Amino acid sequence: MANIFPKWSNTLAPKAIVCGGLVATVLPLAMWYYFTPKYTRVGYMPTQPVPFQHSLHVQQLGLDCRYCHSYVEVSSHSNVPSTQTCMNCHTAIKGQSPKLQPVRDSWASGKPVEWVRIHRVPDYAYFNHSAHVNRGVSCVSCHGQINQMEVVWQDQPQGMAWCLTCHRAPENNLRPLSEITHLDWKPADLGKNPETGKDFTQLDIGTKLKDEWHVKPPVTCTACHR
Amino acid sequence: MKRIFEHPPARPNPTGRKYWRSVGELNDTPEFRGWLEREFPAGAAEMEGDGLSRRNFMQLMGASLALAGFGLSGCRRPEAYLVPYSKAVEWTIPGKNVFYATNMPRRRGGMALVAATTEGRPIKLEGNSLHPASNGATDPFAQCALLDLYDPDRSRFFLHEGKIVEVNHFTAFMKTAVEAMNANGGDGVAILVEETLSPTRDRLRAELAKQFPKLTWAVYDPLQHFNEIDATRAAFGDGVRLLPRLDRADVVLALDSDFLFMDEGGIEATRDFTNRRRVAKATDSMNRLYVVENHYTITGGMADHRLRCPASQIGALAVAIAKKIGGGGPLAELAAAFPADAATRFQGQDEWLNGCVADLVAAKGKSLVLTGPRQPAAVHLLVQAINGALENIGHTLVAHSAPERGGAEPTSLSGLADLIDAKKVQTLFILGGNPAYNALANLDWANKQKTVPTVVRLGYHEDETSELAQWHVPMSHFLEHWGDVRAADGTYGVIQPMILPLFGGYSDLDVLNLLLGVDKNDRPDLVRATFNEISKGGSGQPELAWNAFLRDGFLSGSAMPEAETVNFNVGAAKGYLAQHHVDHPFPEALGDGMEVVLIADYKLDDGRYANNGWLQEMPHPITKMTWDNAALMSPATAKRLGINKQAFDVHFNGAFAEGNYTEADLITVETADGRKITAPVLVSPGHADNSISIALGYGRTHTGRVGRNTGVNAYPLRTAQNPYFTTGIKHSVPGGTYQLVVTQHHQAMEGRNLVREMPIETYRKEAGFNYEGGRSFVAMFGMDAHIPPNVSLYKNPPLDAQHQWGMAIDLNTCTGCNACVVACQSENNIPVVGKDQVMRGRNMQWIRIDRYYSTVENGDPNHDPTLDDDPQILTQPVTCHHCENAPCETVCPVNATIHTEEGLNAMAYNRCIGTRYCSNNCPYKVRRFNFFNYNERSIEPIEKGPWKGKSQAYLGPFGTNGMDEIKKLSKNPNVTVRMRGVMEKCTFCVQRIEEAKIGQLQVARDSANTKVPTDSFTTACAQVCPAGAIVFGNIADPESKVSKVKQQDRDYKMLEYLNVRPRLSYQARLRNPNPAMPGAKDIGMTLLGNPANNPEQSIHEPAGHDETSASGEIHKE
Repeated sequence: MANIFPKWSNTLAPKAIVCGGLVATVLPLAMWYYFTPKYTRVGYMPTQPVPFQHSLHVQQLGLDCRYCHSYVEVSSHSNVPSTQTCMNCHTAIKGQSPKLQPVRDSWASGKPVEWVRIHRVPDYAYFNHSAHVNRGVSCVSCHGQINQMEVVWQDQPQGMAWCLTCHRAPENNLRPLSEITHLDWKPADLGKNPETGKDFTQLDIGTKLKDEWHVKPPVTCTACHR
Repeated sequence: MKRIFEHPPARPNPTGRKYWRSVGELNDTPEFRGWLEREFPAGAAEMEGDGLSRRNFMQLMGASLALAGFGLSGCRRPEAYLVPYSKAVEWTIPGKNVFYATNMPRRRGGMALVAATTEGRPIKLEGNSLHPASNGATDPFAQCALLDLYDPDRSRFFLHEGKIVEVNHFTAFMKTAVEAMNANGGDGVAILVEETLSPTRDRLRAELAKQFPKLTWAVYDPLQHFNEIDATRAAFGDGVRLLPRLDRADVVLALDSDFLFMDEGGIEATRDFTNRRRVAKATDSMNRLYVVENHYTITGGMADHRLRCPASQIGALAVAIAKKIGGGGPLAELAAAFPADAATRFQGQDEWLNGCVADLVAAKGKSLVLTGPRQPAAVHLLVQAINGALENIGHTLVAHSAPERGGAEPTSLSGLADLIDAKKVQTLFILGGNPAYNALANLDWANKQKTVPTVVRLGYHEDETSELAQWHVPMSHFLEHWGDVRAADGTYGVIQPMILPLFGGYSDLDVLNLLLGVDKNDRPDLVRATFNEISKGGSGQPELAWNAFLRDGFLSGSAMPEAETVNFNVGAAKGYLAQHHVDHPFPEALGDGMEVVLIADYKLDDGRYANNGWLQEMPHPITKMTWDNAALMSPATAKRLGINKQAFDVHFNGAFAEGNYTEADLITVETADGRKITAPVLVSPGHADNSISIALGYGRTHTGRVGRNTGVNAYPLRTAQNPYFTTGIKHSVPGGTYQLVVTQHHQAMEGRNLVREMPIETYRKEAGFNYEGGRSFVAMFGMDAHIPPNVSLYKNPPLDAQHQWGMAIDLNTCTGCNACVVACQSENNIPVVGKDQVMRGRNMQWIRIDRYYSTVENGDPNHDPTLDDDPQILTQPVTCHHCENAPCETVCPVNATIHTEEGLNAMAYNRCIGTRYCSNNCPYKVRRFNFFNYNERSIEPIEKGPWKGKSQAYLGPFGTNGMDEIKKLSKNPNVTVRMRGVMEKCTFCVQRIEEAKIGQLQVARDSANTKVPTDSFTTACAQVCPAGAIVFGNIADPESKVSKVKQQDRDYKMLEYLNVRPRLSYQARLRNPNPAMPGAKDIGMTLLGNPANNPEQSIHEPAGHDETSASGEIHKE
């Protein structure tokens, strides 16, 4: 009786195991890397209809975040400014700039400017801005150094794991309420910690505020999923 | 790393390859956008013929390839936009609700509401707690009004002869009509309106009358309380309105009066009545309610003593009561005007009547006798005389002067029909209402309407009346237009628009204004003019007064004053009787004959809510039937008529536990004048014998997809002579069956003392006494008497947060009205699943109200409890108990349901894989599973094929895909809309909890003050409850209302012996029997056993040591 299995089939099983093992390792690793928010979202920098520069308005002109994002302290949603807000200044300043044409068009027609959305939380997660900025979490913790950006990009992955790292250890991000919208603020700006004799660290400040204010970020599902 | 990005220069016209370089650029090309926006088939059609060149096509295809190839991020992440307002809208903060006060026009006066709007669309209606008549509560109709606003089937177009026309065709027609009216003074023109109690409409009517003196003004509402109005006018004179003050009444007798829901004061009556039944400690008193009625109503369910009596015999019974009260005076004089035999018809009930009358007489000035709109004016007169004799008028029955409405008495519908017959009406405006469907059958309105040359119909749906009209005008919803209304007590309220008319509809005021030559506008000019009149210029500050009016929703102090002294004018009453009822004040004794009673429906009212899915699917408070009406009759009558076999299966056949339906036999009833209908029979324990009740409002032929072909139209039986009940009925059984869906077969939890009640005397003896472990008497019923030690195999989560949420439901005040069920549905985006799915036990409401009949065991093993003549009713709302040892959590393989540190049993929808293990392991059966994508595919009636008649089914791939755009507007943005394969259940309104907590964080800022203020918010069900039966709050706060309620002696937990430690507890029901009444010793004793047989048992002996002796018989259909 002839051999049913050719000789090469002797090594088939180990080869398959090795290959299978490789695939089983590489595929999840690849998925982990390429399909997680860290890869898919961070750095997303779409072109906006109006080339608005945060760096110019914040760094050079000294506008506070809340001049435009006016409801961030009272609402879940941090509003994008209405055309009206832009026109408060831009009727007088750069009134003829071609870059501002969409804004003027919007003002004339009443049709809003459609800004491209960058930071996006899924529908089943309910993020609330006011709960964070009123309790010592600065804009910079989630949005990065927007004050220095000419074009806004996504700075943080904003996935659930990322949220939870802070909710489990809020002291890494808490700062005095007066500094919430000062994106360049550093703990060392407070001077030296009399207890350690060194510059204040984030942990010093964060732990102190966390205890004083009873900051207990929820880590259960209902905090965000309803 | 700092990234520098240079903006591209201002964009030149895109050419060549640059065209495809970035997503942003692509999006700016109109062709591409247009292509994207189209649905595929339409887009495909466009490409073939519509001038798109091959080059364009290639560009587009290239663009999509570019998307797939280069812009991988675009592939994974569709581009979304942030669209701010161009001009900021006053008061609107994106992401937050804005609340406006408004009113819902109702038959007996406006209901004060607060509408929550989010970004310009109303999403929830609540009661206006500032309003004197409201308590922040509402009823199911007010809750469901929101769904009507977003009804995809509502009228969207102006129709002329059935064809869609532009609005300017209609306004042009109106112009010519007005010209003609100017020429002839309105001769031949009639306006038929619904009763809305709008002062502005009265004002417009007066102006119209001035301009067109020959105009006919008719008012019509099929269920208006004509009899009561006529009787009050006859006995007390014009301009008087009697309002019951249940908060002052110790003893109440309701003669065919459902004052806790459909009649009288609605939510005010419920609040006042239940406030007198709130018993927190042994010394608290409680009112006593006697009910005489033919079918079980919500009011009957609250009764301490209930007597079954055919509706046609209530009048005679009132005479008997009048005779027993005796004395001289107006009552005796009036009673003498009635046939002498009337009082003798109730020999068998002498003991009952004597006990009741003695109780009423003993409580003179603090008693109250009520009768309902079904009873003729003669009975109302008699009842008013009885109240006079009991010295109740001015105390528990208060006369208010009715608001001045001006103008002559409006024409009735039958008066209008006579005018049409006499060819005196050439143009008829029907503003609202639906007379072609619900007019009295003897008018033959549909045919009459056809003879009018021009009929203009303002209607919310394209319905039966529109079908026969030349012009149909879409009507705006009360949340879309300006208007005003008076409440039952006369308080003047505003109707504010929350949103512009979605389909450009007109209000009745708009149409009347067109007749006065003023074009439709969105301004409040009309209402403001009326307001200035009523507020007398706003005390010199008109602007301030108007703003306060809009803010509060009503004008404070505008309630009608109590009339000084009013007297029952017996001479006038007798005159009225002689004029109207000389031969037949009320029907002859029934004997073995049958009567048919037509009842206003708890769900559809007069049929106006037929296309409202929330109401259609809401189980009827008593029968628990959904999507249909039926001929209700008592078990004994069904047995006598020989149609018990199928009907009784509802209660007994074990096979029915699998489904929620019964194959009901049909019965044909025919009145003496030959009008007949055929309806399925549903046996209803507690129904009067020889009586058949059928709800009005069903069997609509022209309405939307939801309301079509549900139930049987009972209006054909309704005539001017017998508007509510007809005796001398012939009946036959034509054969054949019909599937009725009754929801109380599934989720049955039998024989475990789930619901508890006792007489108040027993409670008084037991209150304050602690049994083993500090537990109260009530907590020791049945199995709970020997509860296992508090151990758990599982490690409990640490419940250490400062907020611990809990709920308490007082069974003593819960009337079972269903307001909580629909409020929850509205708040939590719960879908409607249709009759077919409910039949399979897949209804989705998070709260169900269990209805129990309780009967006394008589020791006979062959005793059939469903045949018991006088079962009592208990209702019990059941929702997720948020067990601390939740059995559902331990069986979830994916941790989709977990416990929070605040004691919530949370459900993470996006984790759920739909194993349904949790539902299987839930002892309370409160979890609901999305078997299908109920939100994505609508529920539609099946009108052909083998399943014809199985109306309102989920058709899966054969149904329409996608949620109607308009329906999306109704969704609460703070609650996830669930999809197929996901388990869901009550969350204790976690979105409200989180909102309150975050609101407090905004206050706390850099302090540690993060505790939500005590009782500062509540769940949707607790907020809506007119009885205040549901209390929700923080049980870790000893000051909260819920903590205090849970301390009461009546508090118990359902299935406590399972040791699941529920956060929801109940307060046991109390009955307040009159010891002098027949059967008083059994009232409220079904669970305790009969103390007469076992006197020691209830006194400081744990009840229910032995289940067989203590549990008595309690059964549930």
